Amino acid sequence: MATRALALCVRSLTRSSTRLYQGSVIARSSSALLISNDRSFSAISCSQRTRRIEQSRVSQLSRQYGGLPPLTLEAISDRVMYVLKLYDKINPEKLKGTSHFMKDLGLDSLDQVEIIMAMEDEFGFEIPDAAAEKLMTPEEIVQFIADKKDVYE
Amino acid sequence: MIACKMAASGKVQVLSLYRMLLRESEKFSAYNYRTYALRRVKDAFKENKNVEDPQNLQRLLSQAWDSLALIQRQVTIGKMYETQKTVVETGFKKTL
Repeated sequence: MATRALALCVRSLTRSSTRLYQGSVIARSSSALLISNDRSFSAISCSQRTRRIEQSRVSQLSRQYGGLPPLTLEAISDRVMYVLKLYDKINPEKLKGTSHFMKDLGLDSLDQVEIIMAMEDEFGFEIPDAAAEKLMTPEEIVQFIADKKDVYE
Repeated sequence: MIACKMAASGKVQVLSLYRMLLRESEKFSAYNYRTYALRRVKDAFKENKNVEDPQNLQRLLSQAWDSLALIQRQVTIGKMYETQKTVVETGFKKTL
């Protein structure tokens, strides 16, 4: 949109210079366009909220996505263990990557559902029931999340 | 064998119902209702986790389905009459 406005400006400016007798009207319109163009630039820089762009007046456009840094297996397992340690029915000292929720940690299937829900909240996607009931150790959860998020190493 | 299968599917059903109830209870906008609903659902399921009698189980399950519908209605109604957040939710610093 901004480029189209700019092109219009340039075109009307050249036209105004060749046909000076129509000058007043066209010059006024082109100056109005220039002003509006200027405003749209400043709106962009405001919305981006980056000082760099404001300083260099859109010398280079940079894309800024809201993406997070890429997940690694280590990061996933850290987060899983962190969530599990915060769960009040698990003793953090007993917790290991291989410990079975029911056999080793003494939880029941209801607690396991709560753990899976906590994982959904932590990683922001839904784990279907059929897959959720098979996840019984922290390692299995890490492996499942890594598969879903396409993390292979 | 058939009884075992039924028990297995029943277990899956109960667990998914439990999950739905918790997920729905989380949606209460009012802090008091939200925490109460979560606590009550968890307590009720833990209290009855060893129920084997099919008739009793059926009764409890239908009760749970009714509660789920009730929670869904109340969440919707609660959103119409939203009030200020309590101090517990907003945190100490913001209220100063």
